Amino acid sequence: MVSRKYVTVIGLEVHVQLKTNSKLFCPCSSDYIGAKPNSNVCPVCLGLPGTLPVLNKKAVELALKMSCAIGGNIQKESRFHRKNYFYPDLPKAYQISQYDRPISFGGKIPIRTADGKKFIGITRLHLEEDAGKLVHATSDGRLHGFSSSYVDYNRAGVPLIEIVSEPQISTPEEAKEYVLALRKLVRYLGVSDGDMESGSMRVDANISMNEEGQPLGVKVEVKNMNSLRALQRALEYEQKRQMEILSSGGVIIQETRHWDDVRGITVSSRSKEEAHDYRYFPDPDLPLLVVSEDLIEKMAKSIPELPWEKKERYLFEFSMSEEEAEILTSQRELAQYFEEVLASGAPVKPLVNWMKTEVIRSNKEGKFDFNNPEINPQALAKLVKFLDEGKISNTAAKDVWLVMLDNKVGLEEAMEKAGVTLGGLSAEKLESIVSKVLDQNQDVVKEILEGKDTKGKKIKFLMGLVMRETRGQAKPQNVEEMLRSKLHG
Amino acid sequence: MSVRELSAREIAGLVKRGELKATEVVRAVFDEIKNNEKKLNALITIMEERALKRAELIDEKVAKGQWKEKALLGVPVVLKDNICVEGYPTTCGSKMLKKWISPYNAGIVDYLEEAGTILIGKSNMDEFAMGSSTEHSAFGPTSNPWDLERVPGGSSGGSAASVAAGYVPLAFGSDTGGSIRQPAAFCGVHGMKPTYGLVSRYGLVAFSSSLDQIGPFTRTVEDMALALDVIAKHDYRDSTCWTGNRPSYSEAILNANIKGMRVGVVRDFMEEGLDDELAQAVEKGLGILVENGAIPVDLNLGDIKECALPCYYIIAPAEASSNLARYDGVRYGLREDADNLLDQYIKTRGKGFGDEVKRRIMIGTFVLSSGYYDAYYLRGLKARKYVCEKFKEAFSNVDVIVMPSTPTPPFKKGELVGDPIQMYLSDIFTLPVNLAGLPGISVWMGLNSTGLPMAMQIIAPKWHEVRILKAAAKIEETIGACPLAPGGE
Ligand SMILES: [Zn+2]
Repeated sequence: MVSRKYVTVIGLEVHVQLKTNSKLFCPCSSDYIGAKPNSNVCPVCLGLPGTLPVLNKKAVELALKMSCAIGGNIQKESRFHRKNYFYPDLPKAYQISQYDRPISFGGKIPIRTADGKKFIGITRLHLEEDAGKLVHATSDGRLHGFSSSYVDYNRAGVPLIEIVSEPQISTPEEAKEYVLALRKLVRYLGVSDGDMESGSMRVDANISMNEEGQPLGVKVEVKNMNSLRALQRALEYEQKRQMEILSSGGVIIQETRHWDDVRGITVSSRSKEEAHDYRYFPDPDLPLLVVSEDLIEKMAKSIPELPWEKKERYLFEFSMSEEEAEILTSQRELAQYFEEVLASGAPVKPLVNWMKTEVIRSNKEGKFDFNNPEINPQALAKLVKFLDEGKISNTAAKDVWLVMLDNKVGLEEAMEKAGVTLGGLSAEKLESIVSKVLDQNQDVVKEILEGKDTKGKKIKFLMGLVMRETRGQAKPQNVEEMLRSKLHG
Repeated sequence: MSVRELSAREIAGLVKRGELKATEVVRAVFDEIKNNEKKLNALITIMEERALKRAELIDEKVAKGQWKEKALLGVPVVLKDNICVEGYPTTCGSKMLKKWISPYNAGIVDYLEEAGTILIGKSNMDEFAMGSSTEHSAFGPTSNPWDLERVPGGSSGGSAASVAAGYVPLAFGSDTGGSIRQPAAFCGVHGMKPTYGLVSRYGLVAFSSSLDQIGPFTRTVEDMALALDVIAKHDYRDSTCWTGNRPSYSEAILNANIKGMRVGVVRDFMEEGLDDELAQAVEKGLGILVENGAIPVDLNLGDIKECALPCYYIIAPAEASSNLARYDGVRYGLREDADNLLDQYIKTRGKGFGDEVKRRIMIGTFVLSSGYYDAYYLRGLKARKYVCEKFKEAFSNVDVIVMPSTPTPPFKKGELVGDPIQMYLSDIFTLPVNLAGLPGISVWMGLNSTGLPMAMQIIAPKWHEVRILKAAAKIEETIGACPLAPGGE
């Protein structure tokens, strides 16, 4: 049998919750996380008889901002449709969404792949409202094997944008990179939290496989992937499953499959209720959404330097490595802090090193917040400058940094607290430290003097102790000289 | 003179001057209701306690010299039971919402209260405003106050009967295809459907969102203008509500002059399918206008009479099928428990809705279904456009158009219930006006040879209610204001 080569084709539909104050069509808060069930509702988002939707302007602005950022072709007139289906989490039994006239068509997003940069095309971007949430429970409150269901409408009506990609993603890894790029983008723009775990970013995938050179295969929709890892695993599983079917001569069924994260498999969800005819038609309660040239311009102007643009610039302007540029542009606030410190006079190279190690580490440890930097840019600039000019050692600089963070003090005070002085140690200070170390390690001294330190290990040990005491402020050759003269003199 | 004979304007005047107490008005109204409601069944909910409290407040304010600026001070008002009043049921004439208490006020309820009215009750109607006889109500049929054997028309039959019988001088209904004008004609009162978008739909339970409009029933044209002054306001809660400035309708009809007004008459409409005496009534009305200086113009509206009915019975049910989908037993209203969700939907909706509503939901679901959408819904939209264009053409030559309100005088109860098509045909002259979003009035034209009310319809281009009111005022000068119906004694 001739071995065949299969090509994977993936398209993603990403729902992003917009960071507005209120819901898409009513004044209720769009921040529903943690609220008591059904406390964040009003007659409109509950779809009570007689209520009507009023479009949230901020949501439109954020959708436009996103469209501008991906280079979408913004539609001056777009329209809302009703997507009709029965489900208890849908208060009106229809979702207000956009259908044939979304807010924008087209655009693209660059992602990193093994072979370098690749652009993933965007088909469309549209606005729609979220549904509520079903909670299933048994009589004793357990959620497994439920006997009753409850509905919480706190989320109903929260604004979403749906971004549909072209089927141009070729691997699960690329799918992950695409979602990462999208997440970074929505965060840069302040459009969304972009958090998959809490559901402010949700990803559905369409995946098909075909033999190389052959037409596209039958696509399968995969849902219920609640993390980047789940997305990648689900697609990898689906790839394997489809390949096995195809290579054994089987056919793929067009269907929706749910990712079961615990079992690590996708499961078909062919049920009657899913065989929807949504009966889309224009929502007569909402007029055409007409976007003025002025508003589009205003939104375009509000867009910051995009993550990939920033990265290109860092690579070019600061000769950073790919990895460095990736790290420093991973969050807009981090990049902004970097640029501020740079503007305060820090030399680039040592600053980049400092950012990617110390700043990132402190951030991970929860000591340093990019959004609200504990250390002002001038202070870090000075510190990095001292380091670069050899006025203080790397270890001393780290000490000072930590003292500044822990005690929330300025640079001078931190240096004093850390016992760090500019230009390193004075000869007297070094001498007293060396004497102290020798005093405390007389046995070692004795062995050295007896000539037992043939490999020089013992003297290195003493040097280490002295260096630690001096917090790295002394130059190693000075320490060695001093040690030898003390030992032998 | 008894209270029931007074117009809204007269009551407001007397109450403001302290010559009539609001509490006396309310007592008189409830006496009237108690005497006649058994035979008329015009009201679903009677709000006696609320009305008395409100009247006491008004009397208090008047005694202190306050509230004199309120245009409808002390005027008792009836609302169709699809207009929400906070704390009271809004049944829509359906079992489905029999026990549903609205937690909020409709836009017009706020406006009416602000103007000093006293809400008396909620009136009977065809279920969800679907019908032309008020026989399709879960609360039994309403009788025509001119002949208790006959229907009052519909779907706002209860409101029309309330005004005709002298319960109140002012009532409100909703008109989707003639549901104000047809019962007005049958009950011998004036009834107006304003331009789509002139009056807020917020709090009007939707039947067909792109056609529904709230309007008044009165016995004088002056009251009609006064009512419009109060309710025709821009309401941000209804995105389809017109933002333009409304004139003072009361001022506009003072010393109305219609000299030179071009009055179109559609000769095709006056031929087959129209009751002879009603045709004569239109001729008579036209004659009165001409005597007052208007210029008659013969018009051709193409095939709108032929295409309006099928067009309407595609668009209205399509929207209704979506608007009524929310009545699923999950959140409010009737719920029939079942073992699973699908059965709960089927049982709840099976029991909660009457036949006519079910009929229209099925038609609407069908015409929106994939595969039938183009053949029905899209063609319906095209036909609607045609109707709009024909009217536009016509209004380039004339200022108003006169035509019959209904093809027949009020029919007998039970006569058409088994024949939906004949029932639908009773709106043949009113439907096109809704499709084009135009304002139209049904104006009282006296009694026919068998003692039943006759009427004529006057329509105008969008936002030109003033023209209609001026013409109607001239008719009323000759024909007289609407008399009280004998059945209400
Ligand atoms: Zn709400």
